[in-house]
Amino acid sequence: MGSVVLEQLRKDFSGVTVLQNINLDINEGEFFALLGPSGCGKTTTMRCIAGFETPTSGTIKIGGKDVANLPPNERNCGMVFQSYALFPHMNVFDNVAYSLNIKELKKSNPLKKIGVYTRMLNSKLVKYPKEIEKKVMDILEYVELTNHAKKLTSELSGGQQQRVALARALVMEPEVLLMDEPLSNLDLKLRHTMRNTIRRIQQDLKITTIFVTHDQEEAMSMADRIAVMKDGEILQIGTPTDLYSNPKTSFIADFVGTSNILEGTVVSAENDLTIVQVGNQQIKSKMKKDKKEVQVIIRPENIIVLNGENDNYDNTFEGVIHLATYLGNTVRYDVKVGDHMLVVDTIYESGANIKQSGEKVRLGVSPERVLLI
Amino acid sequence: MRKIKSLFTGLGLVKLLIYGFFLLFLIIPLLSVFLVAFTNEPINLFGSLISLEQLQTTMNQFKNATLDNFKSIFSYGHYFEGLINSLKLSFIVSIWVLVICIPIAFGIARTNMPFKKTISALVTVPLVIPTFISAYAFIIMFGRAGWVTYIYEKLGGEGMLIDPYSMTGIAIVQIFFFFPYALWPMVAAFKVSDISLEEASRNMGAKGWLTFITVTFPLVIPGMLSTALVIFAVSFSDFGTPIILAPSDLNLIVVDAYREISGFFNWGGAAILTVIMIAVAGFVYWLQNYMLKGRDYGVVSGKPKQVKLIDHKALTIPLSIFSGFVVIVPLLAMGTVILQSFATTWGKDPLPNGYTLDHYRTIFTSSLGNIQNSLILAAGALILSVVLAIFVSYFVVRYRSTTLDFMTTIPLIVPGIAFGIALIQTFNTAPLQLTGTAIILIIAYTIRRLPYMVRSTVGTMKSIKQDIEEAAVNLGASTLTAAITVIGPLMLPGIAAGSILVFVTVIKETSISILMAPAEWAPMSLAIFQNVLRAEYYSAAAMSVVLVVMVLVLQAIANRLSGRNGL
Repeated sequence: MGSVVLEQLRKDFSGVTVLQNINLDINEGEFFALLGPSGCGKTTTMRCIAGFETPTSGTIKIGGKDVANLPPNERNCGMVFQSYALFPHMNVFDNVAYSLNIKELKKSNPLKKIGVYTRMLNSKLVKYPKEIEKKVMDILEYVELTNHAKKLTSELSGGQQQRVALARALVMEPEVLLMDEPLSNLDLKLRHTMRNTIRRIQQDLKITTIFVTHDQEEAMSMADRIAVMKDGEILQIGTPTDLYSNPKTSFIADFVGTSNILEGTVVSAENDLTIVQVGNQQIKSKMKKDKKEVQVIIRPENIIVLNGENDNYDNTFEGVIHLATYLGNTVRYDVKVGDHMLVVDTIYESGANIKQSGEKVRLGVSPERVLLI
Repeated sequence: MRKIKSLFTGLGLVKLLIYGFFLLFLIIPLLSVFLVAFTNEPINLFGSLISLEQLQTTMNQFKNATLDNFKSIFSYGHYFEGLINSLKLSFIVSIWVLVICIPIAFGIARTNMPFKKTISALVTVPLVIPTFISAYAFIIMFGRAGWVTYIYEKLGGEGMLIDPYSMTGIAIVQIFFFFPYALWPMVAAFKVSDISLEEASRNMGAKGWLTFITVTFPLVIPGMLSTALVIFAVSFSDFGTPIILAPSDLNLIVVDAYREISGFFNWGGAAILTVIMIAVAGFVYWLQNYMLKGRDYGVVSGKPKQVKLIDHKALTIPLSIFSGFVVIVPLLAMGTVILQSFATTWGKDPLPNGYTLDHYRTIFTSSLGNIQNSLILAAGALILSVVLAIFVSYFVVRYRSTTLDFMTTIPLIVPGIAFGIALIQTFNTAPLQLTGTAIILIIAYTIRRLPYMVRSTVGTMKSIKQDIEEAAVNLGASTLTAAITVIGPLMLPGIAAGSILVFVTVIKETSISILMAPAEWAPMSLAIFQNVLRAEYYSAAAMSVVLVVMVLVLQAIANRLSGRNGL
């Protein structure tokens, strides 16, 4: 198990730069997510680490060792592919045993090599040695697939296939586990279960894991740290809470969770309170900014719908409900305030009335919750 | 530096070898035949590489190069006439094929004509019969002693209904045996042409036939023209029919080229004819691709609607009768060959005088060698093309090697006889004297049939996602190990289907066999050809039946294999 360090990584594809200034320092045993919209370069970054792409410049170190000259088959990075890439002509057991066969192949004499090759082509002809058998069955037990060992992968459900892919990558005891959008082919419920499974295994084995995803919820719920990428560059690296509460750009604020983003001008800054003019409203924030034109960011759950008793807020706005969406445990209101539309999330308590569109409301936000970018 | 090093390890080396193979046996021969067209005498390119003396001779040959051969094509009436006749033949054949295919294709695609299933099944029959057998079958049907001629005379006709030894005879054989090549593309065209457009036309008040002429027909025209070009190329390159049927006063370019090289050893003449043949075939191929480019209409609008098949008896019964007539001619031809193979003697009578198995006994004793040769040569070509096709498709699909892709389409364009002449000329002298050996024969078969094999393997290769291979590499396998343990097994069905196809076409192959096979390696096709020339029709018939049966069985196996895997 090792750390992964990327320094000044850059990748050009026939003249087009798809990655630049990629600097990452992933700790041993860390669960690290690369998060970004499609085409942001997250998969390319991962493929550079795995060795399937050669970076145009920059260095990649795995476990402190520069891997520039190592071909992909010698990097010992277990990879779980988006499509799982299971071998369709082999059963579950043979799939998982593949890397162990290869290891045996490398240290065998020519005669034994033929035996191993034959086994890889048809495992009925040549038996597996005891230690391989045990290793494979252990890992299959770990991912709860013992009963499916002799099945063809096409006979398994999506979630089971996913676990075979995971077992196949883990059995080689990789230095790093790479996962490329591993959950995107599963349905919503299974995705939630698999999140927990993957997280549990990662914690158990303390294996350095790099996880590529475009789903911020996935990244937030699983990763220790996240790098948000856009257009081939890293915008911000941080823990999930860090990214959520202190996004560096409005893109991140919007991409990581939902945000109300308003353009405004700073009119005064005194007593730790910055006052920003947004349209004909003034918004107070506890944040300091030394520029004039700012973006005001307010998370929907930080806006409170006031009902007379608790209107003790520094920021209050009058608005009209435009749309109310019932989401189970929350109700989301789109509220028209002046020229702006604000998204407001409120916790739904059973029995409470949902406000109807057209209803007038007062909204409150405390200045601590108003971010300025 | 790393790049250069990687060239000499594993796959890089394989790629170099494949390029070498194509260079040696395809590109250089074609280039050499082109040069010979100027020098008028064989040049020894390989010799020039190893001997200074030879190089000097070759240089002198180049100095004496002339354009005489090119001039002679247009002045010396003989060659020019051959070219014109060949073009005329191909033109007539492609037009007639179109004409007879339109009703049949329409009948199959759009109507519930009676016996539709049977007709669809029987139209594949001509494809399994090599043209020199069909040509010879026409002789025993329409010739002076043929049963058709007998009936014709009984009905009051004089002489022969059709003289098989004529342009008409050649054209008729080609029309009836090549039409299936055009039929299926046309059926497809009729099926996809947008039904809703026709409904719109009918909705606006146009009658059925008016709709057909104004809407349906114009929509399938591009498809038909490109199909006609395919037939043109097939007819132009066909060697089996003209070599059997062309009378001595009818020049056709393929026959001329064959005679120049195997009769007169006129290298220059054969070379210029070869160059002309390749030029024509290449032009037709280019034209066909050009026409298909960006003309993909038909399948534009989502799901094709279920066609409502026409049931109108007044239309379907004539269509069925017509289709039946077209389909029955090749069947009668094959039936005649079968009958003849069992006949003691068969004069100018509707049926043989008696029946015997003697001819089969003869070929299974005295001609067993030919059958063996065919099997060995076909097996050799099969193995070689399997190895080549696997790697070629690997490079084409994974590394997008357009050069290799292009090289494997060249043999599709070059007529067999032209390719044969190019090989004979190039490998005629030391240091690479291969002409007259089984090796060059196998290589010639392989290169000629490789496109079919590659098409099959490229298809399977494309269905294997790159992820799968990367997963193997990620798990520690080298690219070669990944190829052996993962890609290979997954490609097996495609390889199996493709290799049977190669085997079958090699057994059927005419031009290369007749031109290049040495006596001790004479395959069945050459034996049949020689028997026909010697007018030993009975043993030719028996051998033909054996050949066609072999082809049918293998083809059925191939269909099963590819059908099961949904290729």
